[in-house]
Amino acid sequence: MTATGVVLVGAILLAGCGTNRSEGDASGPSCDASKGTLVIGMIAPMSGSLSAIGLGMRNSADLAVDQANEKCTVPGYRLAFQPEDDQSLPQIAAQAATKLASDPAVVAVVGTYNSSTAQSAAPVLAQRSIVQISPGNTGPALTRGEEAATDPKRPFPTYFRVAANDLVQGPFGARYLVQKAGKKKIAVIDDGKTYGVGLVENFVAEAERLGARIVAREKVGEKDTDFSSTIAAIRPSKPDAVYYGGEYPVAGPLSKQLAEAGLDIPLMGGDGIADPQYIRLGGRPGDFATNIGAPVESLSSAKSFVDAYAAGGYAEPSSAYGPMTFDATNVIIQALAGVVRDGEFDEPSRLQLLDAVQRTNLSGASGKVAFDEFGDTTNKVLTVSTVEDDEFAPLETGVFEPSS
Amino acid sequence: MNATELVNSTALRVAGGLLTITGTYLPWATFVLNDGPYPAKATLEFFREPFGLAGYRAHLLAFGVAALVFALVAVPGQGRILRALGAGVVTVSVLNGLWITVDGGGLGAITVSDEDVAFGAPVALVGGVLILAASARGRASDVPAWQWRFPPWWERLLLLGVLVLLLVLVSAVLTSGGQGGAANVYAGAVFLSFLAAAGAGMGALHASGLSSWVAALSERHRGFGIGVLLLCALALPFTGAGTEYWMTVAANIGVYAAAAIGLNIVVGLAGLLDLGYIAFLGIGAFVAANLSGAAASRIGLDLPFPLVMVISAVVAGLFGAVVGSPTLRVRGDYLAIVTLAFGEIFVRSAQNDIGGLTGGSNAIPGIPPLSLFGHGFDEKLVIGGVRVAPGVLYYVLIVLIVAGAMLVFANLKNSRLGRAWIAIREDEDAARAMGVRTGSTKILAFLIGAMLAGMAGAFYAHKTATVSYESFRFIESVTLLAAVILGGMGTIPGAVLGASILFVLPEKLREFSDYRLLLFGIALILIMRFRPQGLVPDTHRRAERAPGREEPTVVLPAVLAKVGR
Amino acid sequence: MSTLLSTLLSQIVNGLVLGSLIGLIALGYTMVYGVIQLINFAHGEVFMVGAYGGLATSTYLLPAILQQQWYIALPLLLVAGAAVSAAAAVAMERFAYRPLRDAPRLAPLITALGVSVALQEAVRVFYPGAISPLPFPRVFVEGAYVIPIGDGVPVRYTGVLIIVGSVVLAVALQRFIDHSRMGRAMRAIAQDRDIARLMGIDPDRVIVATFALGGVLAGVAGILYGADLGFVNIDIGFQTGIFAFTAAVLGGIGNIRGAVVGGLVIGLVKALGGQYLPGGTAYDYVWIFVVLIAVLVYRPQGFFGETERVRA
Repeated sequence: MTATGVVLVGAILLAGCGTNRSEGDASGPSCDASKGTLVIGMIAPMSGSLSAIGLGMRNSADLAVDQANEKCTVPGYRLAFQPEDDQSLPQIAAQAATKLASDPAVVAVVGTYNSSTAQSAAPVLAQRSIVQISPGNTGPALTRGEEAATDPKRPFPTYFRVAANDLVQGPFGARYLVQKAGKKKIAVIDDGKTYGVGLVENFVAEAERLGARIVAREKVGEKDTDFSSTIAAIRPSKPDAVYYGGEYPVAGPLSKQLAEAGLDIPLMGGDGIADPQYIRLGGRPGDFATNIGAPVESLSSAKSFVDAYAAGGYAEPSSAYGPMTFDATNVIIQALAGVVRDGEFDEPSRLQLLDAVQRTNLSGASGKVAFDEFGDTTNKVLTVSTVEDDEFAPLETGVFEPSS
Repeated sequence: MNATELVNSTALRVAGGLLTITGTYLPWATFVLNDGPYPAKATLEFFREPFGLAGYRAHLLAFGVAALVFALVAVPGQGRILRALGAGVVTVSVLNGLWITVDGGGLGAITVSDEDVAFGAPVALVGGVLILAASARGRASDVPAWQWRFPPWWERLLLLGVLVLLLVLVSAVLTSGGQGGAANVYAGAVFLSFLAAAGAGMGALHASGLSSWVAALSERHRGFGIGVLLLCALALPFTGAGTEYWMTVAANIGVYAAAAIGLNIVVGLAGLLDLGYIAFLGIGAFVAANLSGAAASRIGLDLPFPLVMVISAVVAGLFGAVVGSPTLRVRGDYLAIVTLAFGEIFVRSAQNDIGGLTGGSNAIPGIPPLSLFGHGFDEKLVIGGVRVAPGVLYYVLIVLIVAGAMLVFANLKNSRLGRAWIAIREDEDAARAMGVRTGSTKILAFLIGAMLAGMAGAFYAHKTATVSYESFRFIESVTLLAAVILGGMGTIPGAVLGASILFVLPEKLREFSDYRLLLFGIALILIMRFRPQGLVPDTHRRAERAPGREEPTVVLPAVLAKVGR
Repeated sequence: MSTLLSTLLSQIVNGLVLGSLIGLIALGYTMVYGVIQLINFAHGEVFMVGAYGGLATSTYLLPAILQQQWYIALPLLLVAGAAVSAAAAVAMERFAYRPLRDAPRLAPLITALGVSVALQEAVRVFYPGAISPLPFPRVFVEGAYVIPIGDGVPVRYTGVLIIVGSVVLAVALQRFIDHSRMGRAMRAIAQDRDIARLMGIDPDRVIVATFALGGVLAGVAGILYGADLGFVNIDIGFQTGIFAFTAAVLGGIGNIRGAVVGGLVIGLVKALGGQYLPGGTAYDYVWIFVVLIAVLVYRPQGFFGETERVRA
């Protein structure tokens, strides 16, 4: 009954009197679902210009829920998945959160993608003690309050995230680029969005501490496509590397245009560019990306996610946030399995679930997942990879220790 | 129409009605769909439970019986009534049939599959088509105009009853199908079907001339009507739609409705197209975010909400005057582009955290909820032993704000200034020649319109708790404009009606979110093509188009229009 | 010093490349507005559709062997892009604008907004993979020639193609309008549709031709754009479209030469404003819009527009 169905009507009319009725329960070993159905919600941008990310998140979470139902992970319950579009708007995200929160069957919510939508959805969910795990928010204020760096205070007790906040990823990239790759004159560019700006800010702080010089700071418009004037602006300062805060749709063409303008220097970015599409869009051999978790090849859980996703037959690619969405969903499923092991899910269970999520220890598609007292992931394992031929090849995996 | 034709068409109508009734009692699906049984007991048959019909089948049965009755009993406006009923039968059966077909994976789901047969949808559809076909000739008959009069108090009581029914209907539309989601996969189908049935019922009522009579009734008791309508709006939380979810949606609708009323002044009254109008809502919201004690704001003031609202309105109004000032030199399409440019400049500046006032890409989060006597607006509330959902206070507040905005609009429209705006809209040069000071009048339109949006923005900041530049992009301006046009440019209830439709539909049809913008774009094209005057046409304009005829085609907005005027 | 000079020259080159592309699209705006006084807001989407048309041709129709020969692939793609864009523009005219020709002025503009949203979303929903940017095939010589001044001024070969292509097309269009029978008919309709009709000109045919011609230019621009940047996404239409409209207004709407000059000015404002004005590249769009507002307010007829224009 998906929306695509409507479009298919024409095809169906041609196909004649077919049906898709399934005889009995065809989906593998039937699980005991005597206690009913529990719902995992999602709030993500599934229409508009961020839909590529939102739809990838939706599919990845859907995959996790399907797997749990197949394996009967949650005893006595069938799990259902309910994605809600937030249109990237805070007010719509609040509406979606209210909708999910008012359904007693909803146990937890995965999402959102934008930090601003999280800021309006989190209070609604927190009021009902509904666990929320975001795979994509990077704004430090969500877990540590407004004084994130100096006086951290957790504003929403129910809010967690598996995405590393910018305080981790930016500096990790800086250490590699400055210390290992030996780049000392770096130009930074961001796209003006939360993720990119935060990444660049933290990169700059660490890079400067390590003695590199930031020779240029520029911005590109999030809908920009011709970056030649931005490149011309950084060209005179003769950088030996570019750090880009943003995602692959801009980073790929940017890298290509850098080379064409004669700046044959490597571009480095965060997990937002660590996507095969980056290379198809113009990313060059020698470019770097930091990734959260260990490389896919060395991590069987990551490999199995990629395979399962491919086997799932989803129309859209999983996007850069697919693995983390998958992990976020699995965190919820595992915690839920523990909570309802010998009982029903009721209002007091919500606090138990919250507690169980807080104590999570899971090895997922993006590496070890556990949360600190603020709800941030403690997964400080990061990987630097570089473009070789047509894919990202891991160079180095390390644990990030904040500098004192 | 000669005798044979009359007999023929009556026979067709009767046949159509009978087929419709038959259709409702036939099974509709050959098997239980993979997503669960289709609602309204889709496998029910006549001999098991003749009166157990519910949901869309009950609607169809009602339409079928009504069609039979009106086919045989001659009433004024018969042809039009039957046409509305026929259209209702067709839409409802197509909608539900289509849904079962698509969900069932093929036409087998509504015809024959294995040994099971189900011809409910096709039979009802044929019935509806017959009724429609037989009534196509009824086009010529006019809507009857009833002239009944009753003692004033009886009329008021009647009006009260009608408006309460309206409230019930609104609540029923909102709650129909329940809250969609993983556990309720057919919510969209039930909602659409209900909407079609309600629309057809309205159409039939209108065709009978009853709605025009009610409209005239409300015109006679305007003050009373307005009061009751406001009370009805405030009573919505006590109906089935009084959930936290719908209160949140309604509050957001209210924000956009208040802003759309402001835009309606600029576009609908003064005829100045503004494509960057959402910026004023944004300015109001950012001002409020900075003055309300949010930790992220650099200013760090914490002023009481009424004061904040006034400041937001004033600041937005000042910007409105600035944006409006090019109207002194620029006209028509060019003005639209200038306003678009201002809108884009606003978004860009907000994204770049201009002056540290907008929080840039991080937005301004953590704006505290409103509170009254120490009671937070987002908390649960008990009024006289009745527990109402959290968020109801926001709803009440926004209803009052919207009512205030409507009041401002209504008074302005009938004032000297309003007439000057309309004169400018119709012919600027002529207006100037007649002594209207066009320059300051146009700027005033922008200023007042922007103030209303700024006021709504202050409310928005508290309700959403986060103000981000992302909420004020170009497409939001287009949505606001679409709300004004859909509702009816220059009319009082138009903007509210338009905003409600544009917000309720995507909420009710969340499963189609992939297609939201596509459908929105197509809807814009179709509205301009087939009903550019909107659902509630402005009487001024209507008078220009067709002198002496006053004929609102939809009863609900018509009632609102009369009451609000 | 030489660094400053080479930066300045680089930015001028960048501005000229972007500007010629914008100018090419602006021609479509200017023609349609000149003939029927309609801001075809959706013209930017015609450009976008052309780019996707070329992409589809290359992905699904062209054999791989032809794709590697740019002198075969480029003309084929140009034809395909132009055809798709022209078809989109004509369909738009027929189904969205023609029914509204006598409606109040706001109606077609709002319809145009609807067409714009619908076209963009239609591509996003129905073109496989279009929810994120798609790589565009290399259909021209890659790389850049570096002029040896200061630190060097890189000039992309595709950039040269865009500049030359735009100028050639604009000149051809000007000649077409000045000398051909259809061109005369267009000018006649622009001056007075009713009189033109009395003179035996079929306005519908001329208007369709105007839309088609604008579509062809936008389609060519779409292909050149894809070839230059190596990728396309569905947002390009809106943004580039607004710039192109600005350019058309700047040059004096209805004026061919003006559209091209306006495009170049916009390109230069973006490139140089991002480099030298306060706020840097973060505010480069803002400057374009500021220029737009200033021009509309102080010289609404644009650079080359006639001051007094009697319109029906």
